[in-house]
Amino acid sequence: MASVKLMVLDVLKPHEPSILELAKKIGTVKGVEGVDVTIMSVDRKVETAKITLEGSDFNYESILKIINDYGATVKSIDRVSTGKKLIGS
Amino acid sequence: MLSLIRDKLRLLKDYNRIAKIDVIARRYFVMNAFDGVLAILGILVGSFIVGSGKDVVISTGLAAGIAMGVSGVWGAYLTERAERQRELHELERATLSKLKETKIGRAASVAVLAIATIDGLAPFAAATFILSPFLFFGSGLPLKSLYVSSVIIAFCSLFLLGTYLGRISKENMVKTGLIMIFAGILSASISYLLLGGRSHI
Repeated sequence: MASVKLMVLDVLKPHEPSILELAKKIGTVKGVEGVDVTIMSVDRKVETAKITLEGSDFNYESILKIINDYGATVKSIDRVSTGKKLIGS
Repeated sequence: MLSLIRDKLRLLKDYNRIAKIDVIARRYFVMNAFDGVLAILGILVGSFIVGSGKDVVISTGLAAGIAMGVSGVWGAYLTERAERQRELHELERATLSKLKETKIGRAASVAVLAIATIDGLAPFAAATFILSPFLFFGSGLPLKSLYVSSVIIAFCSLFLLGTYLGRISKENMVKTGLIMIFAGILSASISYLLLGGRSHI
């Protein structure tokens, strides 16, 4: 099966833990080489973040576990890139 | 072993950041230590007026300290737990997910335990500290000196609590310390006047 090289997640999270902690923790997952977390909107109790992951064959389940452990929920997987080459980046 | 301790400390730091434990614990600590100091000061004044011996002061003071400690643990545990659960439920509604088994839920549980412990320990520690002359020098010093030294320790504790508050609020620490001492003088004077104001020692 082709390995996942890039993934973009739309995530709903509480203000705490911060995106700094979340990004650092996701960065420790095996296979993840780059993490980018951008806040898209801020509400009174929650915020929406776009999490972009780059790497080679990282485990989505491990990442989902971390996101859920930080009290966040994945609303949608907005982009997945697999194969030997990244398209359009 | 060292890395395990470091990991646990880091985790506690995370929980503290998430649940803002230190801010609330600080508030509870000062409030309950203040309660403890004033209560023991009251016991000292009352015991001095009726001429109680050191054993009575120690047993009454420590029993009061224990009662305040238990009341602190229970009160803080129940109120803090209720408050944290309400916050967690609100957050669950906002994030559309269950949060009890997440870092946020664990941080809330740790916060409840930590705050309840501090809330219980503060008045008990204050009581023990003030009664320390009776506890450690009970047989070596005259009764009057024991009373005087305990009252001095009580006022020093009040001053220290005040300066601590002053440090937090970045106000004049001496001023906040003196305000606390004034509360002690007021409390002791009212008790002294109401109870007859004449010592039997």
